[in-house]
Formats: sequence, C-alpha cells, structure tokens
Amino acid sequence: MDAVEKANAERQRRWAKDQKIGEGTYAVVYRGREVATGRKVAIKKIKVGQFKDGLDMSAIREVKYLRELKHQNVIELLDVFSSKMNLNLVLEFLDTDLELVIKDRSLVFLPADIKSWMAMTFRGLEFCHRNFILHRDLKPNNLLIAADGQLKLADFGLARDFADPGYKMTCQVITRWYRPAELLFGSRYYSTAVDIWSVGCIFAELMLRTPYLPGESDMDQLKTIFRALGTPTEEEWPGHTKLPDYVPVGQFPKTPLRDLFTAASADCLNLLSKCLIYEPRRRISAKEALNHPYFFALPYPTHPSKLPKPAPKRSSLLPLEELDGNAEPNSSGPGVKANPPNKLKRKHSEDGMNERSKSIARRLDFSQ
Amino acid sequence: MTADIASPAAESSTAVRTTLYEASTQYRHWRYSLEQLAHTRAALNTAAVSAIQEAFESDEPGSSSSVSFLNADEEHLLVKLYVGKISQLCGHFRFPEEVEATAVTYLKRFYLKNTVMDWHPKNVMLTALFLATKTTNHPISLEAYTSHIPKTAPSDVLDLEFLVAQSLGFDFAVWHAHRSLWGLWLDVQSLPDAPLDDLRASYDTALKYVRASRLTDAELVYTPSQIALACLSLASPSLASTWVRSKFPDPEITDPPVLGVIEPIKTLILADGSPPEVEAVREVDRRLKLCKNPEKVVGSKAYLKKREEEERKADEKRRRKADVIKRAMEDGDPFGSELAGRTALDDDDDDDED
Repeated sequence: MDAVEKANAERQRRWAKDQKIGEGTYAVVYRGREVATGRKVAIKKIKVGQFKDGLDMSAIREVKYLRELKHQNVIELLDVFSSKMNLNLVLEFLDTDLELVIKDRSLVFLPADIKSWMAMTFRGLEFCHRNFILHRDLKPNNLLIAADGQLKLADFGLARDFADPGYKMTCQVITRWYRPAELLFGSRYYSTAVDIWSVGCIFAELMLRTPYLPGESDMDQLKTIFRALGTPTEEEWPGHTKLPDYVPVGQFPKTPLRDLFTAASADCLNLLSKCLIYEPRRRISAKEALNHPYFFALPYPTHPSKLPKPAPKRSSLLPLEELDGNAEPNSSGPGVKANPPNKLKRKHSEDGMNERSKSIARRLDFSQ
Repeated sequence: MTADIASPAAESSTAVRTTLYEASTQYRHWRYSLEQLAHTRAALNTAAVSAIQEAFESDEPGSSSSVSFLNADEEHLLVKLYVGKISQLCGHFRFPEEVEATAVTYLKRFYLKNTVMDWHPKNVMLTALFLATKTTNHPISLEAYTSHIPKTAPSDVLDLEFLVAQSLGFDFAVWHAHRSLWGLWLDVQSLPDAPLDDLRASYDTALKYVRASRLTDAELVYTPSQIALACLSLASPSLASTWVRSKFPDPEITDPPVLGVIEPIKTLILADGSPPEVEAVREVDRRLKLCKNPEKVVGSKAYLKKREEEERKADEKRRRKADVIKRAMEDGDPFGSELAGRTALDDDDDDDED
C-alpha cells in the first residue's frame, strides 16, 4: 500500500460513523465519534464519483477554507479522509442551529440573548473577513450552536477569497432573503459588505422571530426590501441605477425601523440600520460592529451557556441508546431502564453533561 | 470597560496570537529545512525502490536485478521539468498567475509524498493543474480542458484527482510569493524618495525572479514574503534595502536581520531557477520506462495480482455483510437488530446507499 493510502487509512480508523442524521444531493451526514475518546463528531460524506468534472466546487471550497480557519465561532474541521470515491469531512458536532432556535415558539428571547448571538456572529465573521474570506451564505440555518451555547459559522460551500479589485465575482450567491440589493442588481464587484447585510437580516429576524425580508422571487425580493427600508435614492446610494441588472421596482417611502422594532433599544436599532445601509461602502464592517456601543451598553450579552435552547426531543425516533439510563444526567445510575440485550455499550464523552440537548439532528440544506 | 464584557466568549487572554500566515496549513504542514527536504526525498526514494523491486520479483523472479532505478536527484529533476511544463500549459490556456503558481506548488508537494516511479509527473501535472483551477476559483470544464491537450482523455485527469488531493492532505490554500511581491510593489511606491521611473522595471524584473523561484525549493523552505523580498533585491538591491530600512526606522538597528535571510534565497534562485537540461531529463525518462512500478502498469502481472487481491478483500467484506443481514432476517427482524446493523456499518465505511 502506498504511503499516502496508508496515512489515509490511519486517519479513517480514528473516526466511527454511528447514525445517519441528514441527507442532501451532495452529501450524507452522519453522527459519529472519535474512536479513542468517544468525542462526538459529525461526518459529512461527499459523493465524489458522480460529478463529471471531478471534485465538486462546493466541497473544494468547504475543505479549502475550513482547513485554514480555526476560531471559536467558526465550525471546526477536525479531519478529512477518503473512502473509496467519497470525501469525508469530520466536523465538530453541533446540537442545533439558530433557525431552530428562532422557530421554537416555547423559547423567550431577552435582549441580552440576542446581543450574545450577534456578538458571536460578528466575531466569527470578523475572523473570516480578516482572513480575506467571504462567506456568501449567511442565514440562521448556517449558524450552528454547540452544546455550550457557542454559535459557529458553518457551510462554507459558497465561500471564496476576496477578488482583487477589478476581478469579477458571481452575483448568484447568498440565499435570497439574506441577499443585499447590490447583488440583486447584478453587481459583480463586491466585498465583505454582502455578508454584513445578511447579518443585518438575521439580527432583525432574531427580534421579529420571523424572516425579515422574505421575498418570493428575486424581483419580489427587491420590492420587499424597498417596502421595508424605502426605495434608495441616488444620494443615498450613488450609481446604483447603473448596475447591470438595475430595474426600477417602484417608489416606497422610508418607514423608521422604530415602527416595526418597537421594543428595541436605540443602540440596537442604530447597529441594525448600519448593517442595512444600501451603499455597500458605507455599510458597517464586522470589526466596527464589534466596537459598536450596542455591545458595551446594558444589558450585557448573555453568557453562551445560559442562552435559550430548544428542549430535547424525546420521541420514539431517537435511537435506543439515547433513552438508556446512561444518557440521563440526573439519573441515579445506569439501569433505570433495562438495556436492550443486543445493544452495544457505548462510551459517553465528557460532554455527557449536555446529553439532554444533543439529540436534535440539524436540518441540512445542500441545495446550494 | 473592556471588550471582554461585550465579548463573553472572547478567547482567553493567555492565548498566543498567531499571525494569519502562521495559522495556515502552508506554515503548519509544508515547511522544511533544506536538509529535511533532502532527507524526505531520499527516504521516499529508498522505500519506493524496495517496494518496486519486490513487485518486479513477484511478477517474475530475478527480474529486478538488471533494473537501474532512479535516485532521488533524478526523480527531482524530472519533477522540475514538469514544473516548467505547467507554465507552458497555463500560457496556452491563459490561466491567471494564481492558477499556475498553485499547480506548481501542488506538483512539488505531491512528490514529497509519492515517487515518480509510481506516478509519472506528466499525468500528475495535468491533474494538479486541473485541481488548481478549481481551488483558485477559476474552474473550467474537464472536457474543455482535455480537448486542448493532445492525447489526453478526461479519465487521465480524473483518475488521479483523488490521489492528488489526498497527497496534498486536502490543504488546498497556498500563499504565493507573487502576491507578496505585489504587496511590496504597492508599498515601495510610498517610500519618501522612491525612484518612480525604475520602479516598474524593478517590479517586472523581480516578477521574473519570482517565476524562476518556482523551479526551486524556495517555497518549501522560506515564506512568500521572504522570497518576494529576495527577488526584489535581485532586481534592485538598493530598492529592497531602502524598503527594509524604512520598516526598521530605529537607527540602532543598522542591519535588519531579514537582509541576511534573503541572501541564501537569492543564491538558490540564481543556482536552481532555470529549467533542467533537456538531454539529462530525457535520459532519466528513458530509464523510468524500465523501472516504473509494475503494479501501476495496467495489464501487467503485478497489476492484475494486486487487483485480484483487492477484489478478494472486497468480496469477503460483502459476504460478511450479507451474512449479518441474513442472520438478522432469520431472527425475524428484516431490518436487522441494532447490533447487527452497527457491525455492518463499522465494517464497511461506504454504506449501501451510495
């Protein structure tokens, strides 16, 4: 066996796949564990053989950038190995995502909670931008949440380095509801500001508990944006009518953010409005946002471990070991329920304290 | 009030701040000393020769004694020739410099994990370049790519793609000296008394040296910015030292240490930065035909034997798996018990659903 194959086989043996937790066009995701420690991981198996141009671009992007990025607020790529013609990405296991949190009607968000999620989002994004990487697909469902409450940017399948000035980039990026007007107008030269717009939409969604700008088509998206924030004027956004796909979509008046976000503080609305400035060059940067008075004013951000989290689901869909006495943090010991006779004894990792919340399989979207 | 209050999750203050470059896979996985490089290549060559000798012997006992295998230097010479070919191909396709530089890096890194006697650089070069177009975000369809290269089928490129990616350890991001040089060039223009007329010419000359440096091991030993500065210094020693001194305005520091670091780089580029002698390489390539690994030659006895062995193993695996399912069926549970299911899963990494 070649040295390269041998090294790969060794890496492969470090990880075990346990159970399928999601499936998309490009990949299947398994819950798995590190064999030596029992640490829980997610293994994303990307099918390679089926593409006529070989390794697929979104897999390449994801691997390329996650290999380089190590930050508390960016999902960690622990390992990469191949099995036959599949590429396996070993990622840290994360319990849930911000979309599920927002949708869980039983949860109440305090202003301090929202501040905490925003701080973590900006911190992860600032790190990407500092590394000259655009994410280009920020949305609540790509902001994953760890057992300890840490929020992590995930899904780098559309990410890229900033282009040099004068280099064209595609404007077909970012999920529609989170896409800024400059991309909808077909701008091929853009920068970090596109990600900031998405964060602004997420910020608003955290307060509203429903998507802020849910357009039904690309054209309707512009209308939805303008209806909410007013049609931009030439003064506000010089030159936007010259963008390649510019179309007038009607005149809408500006309504103050205050009318919709009635409970928000002045600082909060100020930061939100700076994320949603039409002129990309005037939009706030991630670094400036982190220094915005909002983050320094009372109430201080909630500690990540105290953030609201969806309750664990205890349905029959769970695999048996989840219902085993070992998984109950407060149980008096194993044997509360008899172990099924054929069940393998499983090692539980140190994060066993969070077993209660571990069982939410995150929804995966590989359609991009 | 500090940022920590607004940053409940701030990294602990004891954490050492690493620069972006030091956090990169290039810094962490692909830096060697010249001695380490020589050692790595020699060890790889020795291991390859003994493995291939064995393959020859199992193909036909006694057949390896007459074979003259390549040594590490000869392997390196051949790789160097194909580094040069990447530039030619990139010119043909009008690929941006980033694609070219990335492909060159991939090819060099590949041969720090593999031997030319297993994988001929001609094929690896084509795959490395194709992969580089994708990793640098300048994708081209495989068909368009191979149709412009004589005697090359899409499968020639694709068959090796996985092996190449694997050999690179999936470290696709590369930091290049030409980018550093670009930064230097922007920077020197703001020097107080920059001789603007000569600047452009110095940059062009320096860029030529950067391109020459791709034929050397410089990028495996030095940082991109060190290489770029060395190239600027080759083009215009006074400009380079003026720039360096502007970065060390402290009069106490009369000789910034970086000026010492770039001297060996300059020597390396001048000594190794030209394409190899074609005749010498031709001789190596001729011998390679006789000493390449028979297990990688489609149709040879050794190749067939290895295939057979692989198939036998896969067969065994399938049979074990079928057994497990059969037993489960007999137990009355058509989906298998959890135990059985897990055994099968652990056993076979590629589950049936693909």
